[in-house]
Amino acid sequence: MILIVDDTSENLFSLKTLLQLHRFEVDTAASGEEALKKILRQEYSLIILDVQMPGMDGYEVAETITGYSKTKDIPILFLSAVNIDKRFITQGYASGGVDYITKPFDPDLLLLKVKTFQKLYLQNKALNEAHATLEQKVAERTKELLQANKELEASNTELQQYAYLASHDLQEPLRKILTFSHMISEKFLQENDDAMRLMNRVIASSERMRTLINDLLQYSRVAQSVDFIPTDLEQLVQDVLSDLELAVREKGAQVSVSPLCTAEVAPGQIRQVFQNLLSNALKFSKKDEPPIIEIRGEKVRTPSEDAPPDKDGNWCRISVSDNGIGFDEMYVQKIFGMFQRLNGREEFEGTGIGLAIVKKIIDQHHGYISAHSSEGVGATFVIFLPLFQSNISPLPNPTTHKKDYTSL
Amino acid sequence: MPQSQTFLLVDDDIDDTFLFREVLSDVAPQVTLRTAANGQEAIESLLAPSHPLPQLIFLDLNMPKMDGKQCLLAIKRNERLQHIPVIMYTTSSHSRDIEETMQNGAISFITKPSHISELRTILSSLANNTNNNLEKTLRHLSQSQNTFIVC
Repeated sequence: MILIVDDTSENLFSLKTLLQLHRFEVDTAASGEEALKKILRQEYSLIILDVQMPGMDGYEVAETITGYSKTKDIPILFLSAVNIDKRFITQGYASGGVDYITKPFDPDLLLLKVKTFQKLYLQNKALNEAHATLEQKVAERTKELLQANKELEASNTELQQYAYLASHDLQEPLRKILTFSHMISEKFLQENDDAMRLMNRVIASSERMRTLINDLLQYSRVAQSVDFIPTDLEQLVQDVLSDLELAVREKGAQVSVSPLCTAEVAPGQIRQVFQNLLSNALKFSKKDEPPIIEIRGEKVRTPSEDAPPDKDGNWCRISVSDNGIGFDEMYVQKIFGMFQRLNGREEFEGTGIGLAIVKKIIDQHHGYISAHSSEGVGATFVIFLPLFQSNISPLPNPTTHKKDYTSL
Repeated sequence: MPQSQTFLLVDDDIDDTFLFREVLSDVAPQVTLRTAANGQEAIESLLAPSHPLPQLIFLDLNMPKMDGKQCLLAIKRNERLQHIPVIMYTTSSHSRDIEETMQNGAISFITKPSHISELRTILSSLANNTNNNLEKTLRHLSQSQNTFIVC
């Protein structure tokens, strides 16, 4: 609907008739005040405004209209027979008009302008509506995603707590099964080899279950908040090697360690990483060949295997290589998953959680791990650890640890 | 070897109490074992004037009525009892439990072993030592045994 504002009824009548003839819907107002009242009640797609009127003049009406957020987009066309000087036209544009037509006007040209402005207004309106709808949809979707994310986080935490509690509570009866089995063996089965053999199977199975539960507990504990402390990684490796001394000696393994970086890590957790990787290297050795294990490290700029060593780099690259039985690289994605075993239980003991723990710990440190191997030749695990965790804020831990019990 | 020793075991688990008694009477028959099924019972028994005080207290964590942590605090706040060494003897190996009880005056934190021979070694070492080198004995045990022992 188009609103014509003019204090002369003849002008109103002639313009109204002209527009109606061309099938425009038209409304009229005889003063600026009346126009404003109508504009607030009714939506118009174009306002044709006389400049000189008693009371509010056209400029004042235009300024008021463009000042309201609800009406500011309605195009205003000034129409004047008196104020045809350039400065009046300029003022018309300045007060918010889109065009300024002086009388006498050509009716065809006026109609064309009216059509164009109305079309522009309608297009603009449709665009604004589409934009608003889109924004609303985006906001709704964002809200949904945030909610879903929150729910996922909650269920993840719950699951981890569940895993922790479940495995913790499973330990208890198992410990008793083991203790009483040992007791029966020692007290009553010393003279009965058959019964002893059967009991030993019970004990072996229980032991395996205990290892499984311990590994699960360890896995679920990785998620707990930790402090990152600048740590000499080589020292951690040496600690682990002294723990594994017996196995190293039994296997006749040769282990070489090059100097490693100092990085901000949770020492207990990274110790666990080396513990798992090195005990794997010892475990999956060839029967007829003593293991050769090599641990090397250097600083690099980017966490990439091709990156050249760079003493100013912010990443520590550590590789653990062995000459053991290796694995087929087609399984490389699988080995870091839970309960993934590539070898028979009779050949090599284990639960298939060790590398999953390693992966989870490296993730927790915002690092990367990859593995290379070919069967029968050996395996290499490459770890990338950021030297600093400073851009990541760990959860505050109010108690200061004298000892790192979590590594035990 | 010290004369007429008494140990107090505070544990609500009847299996563990049975095993403890069984093993202790095996390796150190000279030691009298007193038991309490929860912290409250333990404190009542410790404060009863007719009973001689034990040389060592083994304290479980998770118990009804009064748990191990509360019981430890009650022992360490009592002038008559606070000198008795308390060893936490529990299934937990949670760092929070360890830190809290060690800070509150427990002399050691032992996770219940699943092999009877380990329990045997632990009880035999503890029963055949005087209080003077109890800490040394515990340190030695923590290094030589698979059982999780903090001291």
